[in-house]
Amino acid sequence: MTTHPPLARRVRRHVPRWTSGGARGLALAYFSLLVLIPSVALVTHAFAHGAGAWWDALSQRESVSALRLTIACAAGAALINTVAGTATAWVLVRDRFAGQSILNALIDLPFALPTVVAGVTFYTLYGPQSPLHVNITGTWIGITVAIAFVTLPFNVRAVQPVLEARSFHAEAAAATLGASTGHVFRTITLPALAPAILTGTGLAFARALGEYGSVVFISNNLPYRTQVASSYVYSLATSGQVDAAAAVSTGLLMLALVVLASVNIVSRRVARSQ
Amino acid sequence: MKRSVPFFARVATVVVAGSISLLGLAPASGASTPTATVNVVGYSVLKAAYAAVETAFQATPAGTGVAFTNSFGASDTQTQNVANGQAADVVNLSYVPNIQTLVTAGKVPASWTRQEYVFGHVDATLTGTKAQTTFPTPGIVTNSVVTFLVRQGNPLKIKDWSDLVKPGVQIVTPNPLTSGSAHWNITAAYASQLQIGKNGTQARSFLKQFLSHTVAQPSSGSASLAAFVAGTGNVLVTYEDDARAAVNAGDQVQIVTPTHTFLIQNPVALTLNGLSKPAAVNFYRFLFSAAGQGIFASLGFRSVLNSIWSATKSQFPARNTASTLWNVTNINKQGWNFVNPFLFSPNVTFVKGSHTDPLVGVATYYEQFAGSGS
Repeated sequence: MTTHPPLARRVRRHVPRWTSGGARGLALAYFSLLVLIPSVALVTHAFAHGAGAWWDALSQRESVSALRLTIACAAGAALINTVAGTATAWVLVRDRFAGQSILNALIDLPFALPTVVAGVTFYTLYGPQSPLHVNITGTWIGITVAIAFVTLPFNVRAVQPVLEARSFHAEAAAATLGASTGHVFRTITLPALAPAILTGTGLAFARALGEYGSVVFISNNLPYRTQVASSYVYSLATSGQVDAAAAVSTGLLMLALVVLASVNIVSRRVARSQ
Repeated sequence: MKRSVPFFARVATVVVAGSISLLGLAPASGASTPTATVNVVGYSVLKAAYAAVETAFQATPAGTGVAFTNSFGASDTQTQNVANGQAADVVNLSYVPNIQTLVTAGKVPASWTRQEYVFGHVDATLTGTKAQTTFPTPGIVTNSVVTFLVRQGNPLKIKDWSDLVKPGVQIVTPNPLTSGSAHWNITAAYASQLQIGKNGTQARSFLKQFLSHTVAQPSSGSASLAAFVAGTGNVLVTYEDDARAAVNAGDQVQIVTPTHTFLIQNPVALTLNGLSKPAAVNFYRFLFSAAGQGIFASLGFRSVLNSIWSATKSQFPARNTASTLWNVTNINKQGWNFVNPFLFSPNVTFVKGSHTDPLVGVATYYEQFAGSGS
């Protein structure tokens, strides 16, 4: 994983200058329009009445309880998916079984399915009239399950290509030297996968913080209890409290940025240490 | 799984129709070359009623070739969307403060209640008291009452508001930050106590108990009905017209009209845009015509046109048709101007020397007890 500056420079020289300039311009303009300007507008709204008002909106008990619930459920779902998603990726790459290609194709289903449909499906399957007699609506379990469904592809798809590209020669060597399967996995495979796993977890968590469609039904949307942050933001925005909505949103945004940045730093460090 | 399909269908239509019509992609009629398009924005449960009213309008000379775009959703949400620029010619919202928000936003003229006399009159020659008796409430297009929907057979024997705060009762009512229906329900709950002679403090304490018995607060009236029909809670507080629609749709539920209920008055207005469109003005007129009001009445609304109301009155529970039925001015002479901030202001203030007895934003404050008492 070490870089070779001379080679990189040589390659760059062979790319026509106008191409990279044009691409850079397009990328920056596109990113600005789509992400940067709206984010700045959001922060401007959030601080429209000063940092005091921002903090007041964020520290309202209703807001705190919504944020706390959202963070807990997002973290729970991300952790469960980290284990389950890595196992799924492992099975998809290292295993051979009937229906494997179908499973592989279906992994992205949560991305394709409208999240509201997922929410309604969970409501009918695990709701008050559940054919399985399981009712998780109006609970943090229900919220976590819905979020876990929506974010699973992040965990699987982050790990899968790394597993595919890996030769497993080191593992084979360790095994011939007498290391146990568990020991090999812990000391060789897992560290190699760690950056990818972490990236998947970070993306899943950040995405989960803002999830609305799949959880708004299953949560029962009770303020102070089961209302998630995105729904609270929505209710603020639609009742004329746009600045408060922006304030709570920046809370989520900052948390997501911190998590993504930490994941980036940690996975780089892990990668470098190998 | 028996009821999963209606719930699916209901939610899917609420969501999909809402988003499609928001994009303006779904003209309601099949008219091939519309001469004009009227943009209708309404609160969530109006969807079925407007489909019928629009079709009937298109069959009249004034409505020939007129196409519609429809957007229905939680009333406060819809209001905010129009205030933020969503195209709207006719706005039919849940309660008067929503229209006032649009007046403040410069979308609806301040004289909107006069529109009914100017554009909505069946007989423009009527003036003064004659107009008053024909249309006693200017700007209001449909009436209803707050009612309960319970499970078939009413297993918990719910009759009146006091039954809602008994152990084991789980209430579904929409979220007051997004829904107009929620405002009516909470206001009616509070007023029910004043009606039986309780004082303000007792009425507030009842409201706290009422909210503590809520188990779900979906974002709109329609979403609440969907959640209730799917099995959540054991009583839904809702519009009478919505409850009747659910019963007619064959859901395993029944209506309980509480003894001390509350008059719902839904306002309609032409926006400044709509005022400049003859088709929109004609449609507005049709809403108040005998034909339009007859359709509303057939769908469970209480007509605001006296002739239609007299003819359809017998379909409604008798004790609630009397003039003794409470409305918002019975709580305070200033009506919503007082009640709206008193119950729903986001800025809670307390009675002097207290930190637990709210003076303004009563329901806002008591929301923290939602779900704690059932």
